Amino acid sequence: MANFKAQYYPGSTAISKNRRRYIDPNYKLEKLRTISDEDLVSVMGHRVPGEAYKSTHPPLDELGEPACPIREMVEPTPGAKAGDRIRYIQFTDSVYFAPVTPYMRAWMGHTRYRSADIGVLSGRVPLEMRERDLEKVAKELVETEVFDPARVGIRGATVHGHALRLDENGMMFDALRRFRFDKKSGEVVYDKDQVGVPLDKPVSVGKPIPEDELRKRTSEFRVDGVPFRDDKELIGFIQRIHMLRTMAGFDPNGVKGI
Amino acid sequence: MAKYADKIDLYNDRGQLFESKVPIEALSPLNNPAIQKIIAFVKQCVTVNLEGIEKGLASGEVGGKMCYLRGRSLKLDLVKNAGAIADSLTANLRVKPKDDTAVKVLKGGKHLLVTVPSSRFNAGVEYTTGVTATAAALCSTIINDFKVGMWDADLVHAAVWGRYPQTMEMMGGNVSSLLSVPQQNEGMGYALRNVPCAHIALITKKNAMNAAALSSILEQAAMWEMGDAIGNFERFHLLGLAYQGLNGDNLVFDMVKESAKSGALGDVVQSCVKMALEDKVIKPLNKSASGFVTYTTDDMNKWNAYAAAGLLASVMVTCGSARAMQHTPSCFIYFNDLIERETGLPGVDFGRAAGTGVEMAFFSHSIYGGGNPCVFHGNHIVTRHSKGFTIPCVAAGVALDAGTTIYTPEKVSGVVGEVLSEVPELREPLKFVNEAAVNVKGEF
Repeated sequence: MANFKAQYYPGSTAISKNRRRYIDPNYKLEKLRTISDEDLVSVMGHRVPGEAYKSTHPPLDELGEPACPIREMVEPTPGAKAGDRIRYIQFTDSVYFAPVTPYMRAWMGHTRYRSADIGVLSGRVPLEMRERDLEKVAKELVETEVFDPARVGIRGATVHGHALRLDENGMMFDALRRFRFDKKSGEVVYDKDQVGVPLDKPVSVGKPIPEDELRKRTSEFRVDGVPFRDDKELIGFIQRIHMLRTMAGFDPNGVKGI
Repeated sequence: MAKYADKIDLYNDRGQLFESKVPIEALSPLNNPAIQKIIAFVKQCVTVNLEGIEKGLASGEVGGKMCYLRGRSLKLDLVKNAGAIADSLTANLRVKPKDDTAVKVLKGGKHLLVTVPSSRFNAGVEYTTGVTATAAALCSTIINDFKVGMWDADLVHAAVWGRYPQTMEMMGGNVSSLLSVPQQNEGMGYALRNVPCAHIALITKKNAMNAAALSSILEQAAMWEMGDAIGNFERFHLLGLAYQGLNGDNLVFDMVKESAKSGALGDVVQSCVKMALEDKVIKPLNKSASGFVTYTTDDMNKWNAYAAAGLLASVMVTCGSARAMQHTPSCFIYFNDLIERETGLPGVDFGRAAGTGVEMAFFSHSIYGGGNPCVFHGNHIVTRHSKGFTIPCVAAGVALDAGTTIYTPEKVSGVVGEVLSEVPELREPLKFVNEAAVNVKGEF
C-alpha cells in the first residue's frame, strides 16, 4: 500500500482548515442542538410525522433485480431497498458567515453520505436521497455546527435571501416568512414548512450561533472576515488546476512533472 | 510494431482475469474486430415494430401519436403472419445467396430484428441505408404479400416510414435503428454518440458493466471518427476506453468493491488516488506549509484514464446504493472537484467532465425540466462536451435504476433496446471485445 493519507482540501487559513474538517468524514460534526424526528419531518413537509413511507417502486426483494455484478456487489441503502420515494431537503446559506458555503455542502455531503444527490446553486443547495435515508442525514445537517438557525434556511421554494442584509435580529431575509426570531425564548422558530405551508405547531430550531462563534466556524471567505486572497496556498492551488487543465487540454503529452 | 508501449490486463464484467498484458492497441476501434463488428451491427441492425404497423393501419393513426387519417383503415394480420413477412423481407433485402442478411421474429411476431446486408452499405456512403432499405423492403413486402391496392399503399408507407418525408426523420414510423438521421447529429462524426442511454441500458439488459462498456465503445469510437483521437490525443482516448469502459486492470471493479458495502463517493475518490499512487501513475511533487501534498504525473493520459475509471466507479457506488439514476451529474461535478482537491491534478477530461456535470445537473433536475438521464447521449446539447468520458457513466447509472423515474428506460427506448438486446455482441460487449483483443494481440 502506497503511503497515502487523505487530505481533502488545500489551503493555510482558518477557513481552509474548517473546510478540511467538514469535508473529512472522520471528523464528527459537533452537535449544537436537538430537533425531534417529528419536528424535522414536519419542516421537511414530505410526509405527516408517523405516516408510513410512500414508495416509488416495490421493495427490491419483491421486484427482482436484473443480473448485474454491480447490483450484486453494491449494497442498496435501506431507503432504496424499501423502494422509498426520492425526497429532498434544501438549504439556503447566507453570505454573512454562515457555517458552510453552497459548494461545501456538496463536497462534505459526498464524503460523508452514501447515495446523496446534491446540486449547488448560488442561493440554494438541494440534497436528494431516498426518503428514510434523507431524514437521517437531514437530522445531522440541522443539529450540528454546519447549521445556524439564523443564517441558514431550510427552504424548498422561494429561497431568495442568501445575499441580502440581515435584519435587526441577525436573521436572513425570507420572503415566505417561514422562520422568525422569537425574542422571548431567543430561539428561531419555523411557522411554515420548507415550501411555506403553515405548520400545525411551530418548530424551534434553537438559538442562533453568536457572531464571534460563527466567524470561527465558518467556511466562507469574506473581505471583512478572512479574505480569499489571504490564502496564498489556496490561490496557488486554483491557479495550478486552471493551468494544468489548459495545458493538458492543449497537449497532455507535454505536461510532465509539473 | 506497437505505436504505444502500454499493456493492460483484461477482466470480465465480474472482475475475473481474462488475459494479461494485452497491448492497448488491441482495444482500438481501428484494430479490434469485435468493436468493428459492434459498429457494423449498429449500422446494420434495424428494428421493426410489426404490431405498431398493424395497429396504425387498423386505426389510421400513422405518422405520429394522435395523428389520425379519418376514414382510412386497413386490417392486415401482420403479427400473425410475421414468419412469412420475415421470409419475404429477407428475400427483398438479400443481395447474394448466403450473405449476411437476417430477419429474426421476436415476441410472437410483434417485433422483427433485421440485419441489412453489408453489401448494401458498401454500395452507398450513408449509414441510413439500414433504415431506408428495411422500410422500403417492408412496404414492398406488405403491399405484395397482402395484395394492397394503389389507393391504400400510401397508408402502408405512412405506417412504416411515419411522416417522412414531410419530417426530417421518420416521425411516428415503425422502423428504427440506434442511429438518428445525420441531420440530427451536432457535428461531423457524432453519429455513434447520438444513442440515448435508455437504449444502452436495455440492450445490455441493465448490466451496468456492459452498459458502460457498450457506451464507452460507441463514444470513444466516435472520437476517432470526429477527429479527436489522433496525434497527441490518440493514446488519451485509447487509455480512457481501456480503463474506464473496458475495466482494464480491473480498476473500475476494484474501486467499486472497496466502497460496495458502505462507501460514499468520497471513498471512491480515495481509492482512485491510492491506486494511482500504488501504480506509480502519480507521485508527490511538494508539500505546502499547511501540510498539503501536491501530486504530479509524468503521464497525464494515464492519470486521466485512472480518474475516468474512478468517475465511473463513483457513479456505480452512488447510483448503485440509491438504485437511482439521477445522481450521475452530481457525481460528475463532485468526484472531479474532490479528486482535484485531493491531488492538485486536473479531473477527468481536464475539466470537461465536471463542466458536463454542471449542465446535465441543470437539465435533469431543475425547474427547466429537460429529462432524466435516460434521454442523454453524447450528441445531446448539454452532454457532448466531455469527449467520451461521461456518457458511459450515465449509461451505467440508468442501468442501476430500480424504477424511480416517470419516463423509464423502457418507455424512452421503445422497442429498440429490447430488440437489439438479442444481438450478443451488443448485449455483452466486454466478453466479445476481450476475446477479439486476445486474437489480435500478436499483431502489436
